[in-house]
Amino acid sequence: MRSVFCAALLMLAVRAEVPYERLVNASSEPQNWLTYHGDYGGVRHRELDQINTANVKDLRLEWLFQVPKSGRFETVPLVVDGVMYFTAPEGHAFAVDARSGRELWRRRHRIPENALLVGGSINRGFAVLGGRLYMATPEGRLLCLDSRNGEELWDVEVGPWQKGFGATSAPLAVKDKLIIGVAGGEYGVRGYLDAYDAATGKRVWRWYSIPGKGEPGNETWSGDSWLRGGAPPWMTGTYDPQLGLLYWGIGNPAPDLDGDVRKGDNLYSSSIVALDANTGKLVWHYQTMPHDTHDWDAAQTPMLADLDWKGQPRKLLFQGNRNGFFYVLDRVTGKFLMAKAFARQNWSRGFDETGRPIYEASIDPTPDGNRICPGLAGGANWMAPAFNPQLKTFYLQYFEECHTYYSMPQQFKEGKPYWGGTYQSIENERKWGNVKALDPFTGEAKWSFEFNKPSWVGTLSTSGGLLFTGDDDGYLVALDARSGKLLWKINTGASMATAPITYMVKGKQYLTMASGGALLTFALP
Amino acid sequence: MKLLWALAPLLVTAQTISKPPVAPGRSIYLSNCSLCHGATGEGGRGPNLSSGTPVHGTTDADLRRVISKGVSGTPMPSFRFEGSEMAQLLGYLRSLRTTRVAVEKAPGDAASGHVIYEKLRCNACHRIDKSGSVYGPDLSRVGAGRSLAYLRESIVNPSADVPPVYRGVAVTAADGSRVTGIRVNEDSFSLQLRNIAQQFVLFDKSEIKEMGERKESLMPPYSNLTPKELDDLVSYLASLRGAITKQGVKKGVEVR
Ligand code: HEC
Ligand code: HEC
Repeated sequence: MRSVFCAALLMLAVRAEVPYERLVNASSEPQNWLTYHGDYGGVRHRELDQINTANVKDLRLEWLFQVPKSGRFETVPLVVDGVMYFTAPEGHAFAVDARSGRELWRRRHRIPENALLVGGSINRGFAVLGGRLYMATPEGRLLCLDSRNGEELWDVEVGPWQKGFGATSAPLAVKDKLIIGVAGGEYGVRGYLDAYDAATGKRVWRWYSIPGKGEPGNETWSGDSWLRGGAPPWMTGTYDPQLGLLYWGIGNPAPDLDGDVRKGDNLYSSSIVALDANTGKLVWHYQTMPHDTHDWDAAQTPMLADLDWKGQPRKLLFQGNRNGFFYVLDRVTGKFLMAKAFARQNWSRGFDETGRPIYEASIDPTPDGNRICPGLAGGANWMAPAFNPQLKTFYLQYFEECHTYYSMPQQFKEGKPYWGGTYQSIENERKWGNVKALDPFTGEAKWSFEFNKPSWVGTLSTSGGLLFTGDDDGYLVALDARSGKLLWKINTGASMATAPITYMVKGKQYLTMASGGALLTFALP
Repeated sequence: MKLLWALAPLLVTAQTISKPPVAPGRSIYLSNCSLCHGATGEGGRGPNLSSGTPVHGTTDADLRRVISKGVSGTPMPSFRFEGSEMAQLLGYLRSLRTTRVAVEKAPGDAASGHVIYEKLRCNACHRIDKSGSVYGPDLSRVGAGRSLAYLRESIVNPSADVPPVYRGVAVTAADGSRVTGIRVNEDSFSLQLRNIAQQFVLFDKSEIKEMGERKESLMPPYSNLTPKELDDLVSYLASLRGAITKQGVKKGVEVR
């Protein structure tokens, strides 16, 4: 009896160490949430069914943690053995007791007052490796904190804000490195993805998402437009430990809406790329939008799944893209397998064998305006997708809207917005938020659920047969993963712009979501 | 809790002053500063202001800055004084220094003290410049913040003065098993401890049968040291004066 309790107590006492092996097997620790996506593959599914279709109607608020509210609260918390770590806007970071929400430490990184913050003051969350936490700062730095007390151990520059760089994504911890990309596409930067040594913060490699002079792909940019061609890898990618490959979605080219000053395909903007995690060398790429002129980046989660494809077991990559298409690629070779529209679209006539899209006659923005679907924000965007392996269903939230796109030639100035145009909502045309369950083999919708407004909330799938998501009016909802039927809802009182997570402590399952300036945690009574 | 700063400052090499000098700022000093800096500036929880080696400067402007801004990340608070009060206080601080007391000097050898610190594995509970444990206080700046007498007492009789945030909590769980640690947080319904293995131990109070604060420090007394070893160790601790960065003291901000 006594030894049994001691074992329970040991579980309660927090193992602060999260070695790489635990990250590789993160899905086999459904009680924890160890990376931004919850697992290296970006699947966002948890084998937890205490909360399920039968009882989710009883879900109620367990605790709430208020952060100093100062910008959109886009964090995805990490949970490590009963302790929750999360970031908040303006350089804030916290550790709390995951059962009670009581604070264990807090820390604030001071952002220089005069800094230009290209992505606002937001932050999307931590990476954990060993006993350390890693976070980006809005002015373009990478911090390493001691998970025991939040003390800052080192702080390095990823990209100087003076040149229009920023960093908002959660870093990805791989082996002994932290992988993070820059933001700043709207400021005409030249994007890159970096790897830093987890112990010292020293940069190990840098991969430019726009090839330099003399490198293959540079010829896809007219003149010297590549120098300010944008293409920042501003979201968190995924990783296949067996193949040793990183998968990253790359930002759109700059200027966003004026393609005349950067003729050519503009590689590797609006592409999905596979890089060798050790060296940062490009292994393959697939460009979703050659020469994009709609701000349609490919930064959405490149999700990894192993399934039978036409009778053959295959390592696949799924992406619900900003341009309104669902893509399936072979993630070993980058071969294009399928693309199917999930949103209203009027820009593509289809694809050639290689998967290159065939554009409709006139899709570019014009001085007088051109109505194109989807709208500037998509389609899909950084709202996390999810995949339920039991139901073999891919879930995503996206915007159903169209925009009028205008081009306006613009002079480039370092550190200044470089859009080359603008866009407008279309009067009297309905726009809404949509959650869709897709059959990944056909791209056909199994069901869809409409929200009143386009919404920035991602999805979470559980073996309880549930899909959690939410909307811009503040509703957090649970849908039946099989049918899309609404099973539970609560108005959280503020619009949300991240995705929920679930975890378990001492045999009790919890659901956590950031809303407004609060982190809300729900459980069954 | 013993008021250490009331003890004679043993290590002041010249003769100690029998009566504190009288000055207009004295009452301001006594009511605001003496708790940490001692009744006559001899130090205690704060550094010795009469004969210590200042780390923040010696000019009036330096003192004004330290007093009105405090030292972020340390117990030194910021103060706002009205009208002539600041001038009177500065006058009193000056008078503390003009008395013929030599600079307080640690008698031992800091390098040998460092070796003793390593040998006794003080870093199993303490941290200096980001290395070591987070269980006990960070010692990176302890030499700037404490008098020599206080440091000496901290080693031989740690229980003499235990700051509230480091008071030990002993918990007996519902089945009789025990945990002792430092309270990181507590409310009516939950308790968060850190144990000596530097793990968070998190309780719902319904899981606790008994809990109590320990009177003694969680640090064991080191009473077997030779006088020379003790001098050396105190010298080493006194030499720990951290780094001050542009943003002020970098260490320990919002950290325990
Ligand atoms: C709660 C304890 C506390 C109180 C009260 C306090 N101090 Fe301090 N003081 C400290 C500590 C600790 C330091 C050392 C800070 C550091 O680590 O640099 C300090 C540092 C100083 C210094 C700088 C010493 C140096 O080495 O340069 C001066 C001057 C000072 N205090 C003056 C005052 C005055 C005057 C008052 C009252 C108005 C006061 N303090 C009240 C704790 C205190
Ligand atoms: C078992 C853990 C433990 C060990 C080992 C330990 N300490 Fe401590 N120490 C503490 C704790 C807890 C405190 C805070 C409570 C107190 O002041 O008594 C402390 C306080 C101190 C302080 C006062 C710090 C301040 O800010 O005033 C000093 C100085 C100190 N220790 C030095 C040492 C030295 C030197 C050693 C090795 C000879 C040592 N400690 C070994 C736990 C430990």
